[in-house]
Amino acid sequence: MNINATFFAELIAFCIFVFITYRYIWPSMASVLEERRKEIDEGLQAASESKRQLEEAKEESSRVIDAAKSEASTLINQAGSRADQLIDEAKEQAAEEAKKIKDTAESDIAQSTNKAKETLKEELSVLVVAGASKILNKEIDESANKEIVDQLIKEL
Amino acid sequence: MAKEAANNLVETSDYIGHHLVNLTFGWCEKTSSWGFAHHQQDISKSLDSACDVSEMGFWAFHMDTIFMSVFLGVLVFGFFGLINRSAKKGTPGKLQNFVEFVHEFIGSAVSSGYHGTSKIVAPLAFASCLWILSWNLMDLLPVEMANFFGQAGSGINYFKILPTADLNAPLALAAVVMVLVTYFSINTHGLGGFLKELFIIPLGPLEFISFVSKHVALALRLYGNLFAGEMIFILIAIMFGQFFMSFSQTLWFLPGLIMNLAWALFHILIVALQAYIFMMLTIAYLNLASTKH
Repeated sequence: MNINATFFAELIAFCIFVFITYRYIWPSMASVLEERRKEIDEGLQAASESKRQLEEAKEESSRVIDAAKSEASTLINQAGSRADQLIDEAKEQAAEEAKKIKDTAESDIAQSTNKAKETLKEELSVLVVAGASKILNKEIDESANKEIVDQLIKEL
Repeated sequence: MAKEAANNLVETSDYIGHHLVNLTFGWCEKTSSWGFAHHQQDISKSLDSACDVSEMGFWAFHMDTIFMSVFLGVLVFGFFGLINRSAKKGTPGKLQNFVEFVHEFIGSAVSSGYHGTSKIVAPLAFASCLWILSWNLMDLLPVEMANFFGQAGSGINYFKILPTADLNAPLALAAVVMVLVTYFSINTHGLGGFLKELFIIPLGPLEFISFVSKHVALALRLYGNLFAGEMIFILIAIMFGQFFMSFSQTLWFLPGLIMNLAWALFHILIVALQAYIFMMLTIAYLNLASTKH
C-alpha cells in the first residue's frame, strides 16, 4: 500500500483518455453505426417497396392477360355468330334467288302458254275461217265477220 | 538442513518481495535530489546516492505503472481511433465489426443502467472498461517475463507490468468517478441537497462514510482481485523455481504446470469480470447520483 504521486499521474492520464474517448472515439463510432443503421433501414425499405411494385406488376400483368383472354373469346364468339349470320343471310339470299328464278320461270311459262294459246287461237280462227270458206266456197269477209270470229275465239 | 530451509525461505521472500516492488522514481531526502530508488535486496544498494524505496516519501512515481498504463492506453484507444478513422460506409470489415460490437456492448450497458442525459457517461464507461481490461490482461503474461528481459537487456531490475496491482492506478480511476458522482449529485440536488444527503439524511454522518467508502471499495475491489491473482501466479512460479533449484524438487514440475494453467484459465474470467464490474458500478453510481429520490 504505497500511495504516492503515481496517483496524480494516473489521474491525469485517465482524464486525458476519457476526454479523447468523449471527443473523438465515441461520437465517431456512434455516427458510423448510425449511418449504417440508416443505410440498412433504407435498403430494407427499398426492398419492401420493390417487392410491392413486383406484386403490383404481377397483378397488372395477370389483369392484362385476363382482359386479352376475354377479348379473344368475345372475338371468337363474334366471329362465330357473324359466320352463322353470313350463312343465314346466304341461305336466305339463295332461297330468295331461287324463288325469284322460280317465279320468273313460272311467269315465263304462263306467258308462253298464253302466247301459244293466242297463237293457237289466231291460227284456229284462220283455220276456222279457211275451213268455213271452203265449206261455203265463198270468201268470207273477214272484216264483216270479225265480230263472230272474235266471239268464237273468246269462247274457246 | 535447518539452515538450508532458512536460506530457501529468505530466497522465497526475496523473490516475492522483488516482484512486488515498482520501478520508483522520486525525491530522495537523503541526497536532496530526484532519482531512481533501489530496493533493499538490490546488489547495487552500495550506491549511496540513491534512496531506498521505503525511504522515498509521497513524491515518488512508479514509472513502470505509468509507462505500462499509458502505453496500453495509447495502444487500445489508438486501435479504436484508427479503426474508426478507416471505417467504411459499406460492409464493415472484421476489425470494424469487433469495434462496433464493443461499442454496442458498452452502449447497451450504459443505456440500460443510466437514465440521465449526460453525454460523458458512455465514454467514461468505455474508457474505464477497456483501459482496465488492457491492464488486467497483462496479468496473463508470465510473471517472470518482465524481470527476465529487464535483467537481460536494460538493467531495469524492477518492472511490474500489471498497473492494476499498483493501488495508485485503480484509486485514480475511482477518484475520477467520485468527482463525477459528486458533480452529478450537486447538479441534481443542488449543493445544499447534496450536503444534506451526505451528513443528515437518514443516518447522519454515516452517509458520508458510506459515500467515501463505496468509492474506495470500487478501487480496492479491482486492486485486490488483481493483486491476489498476481500473487498466486508468483507463488506458482516459485514452485517452478524449485524445479531448477534441486533435483529432489523435480516432482513439483507437473503440479506447477497444471496449477499455472488452471489459474490462468480461471484468471481470464476475473480479468474480464473485474473490468466489467468496475464499468457497471461506475454507471450505477452515476445513475444514482443523477436521479431524484
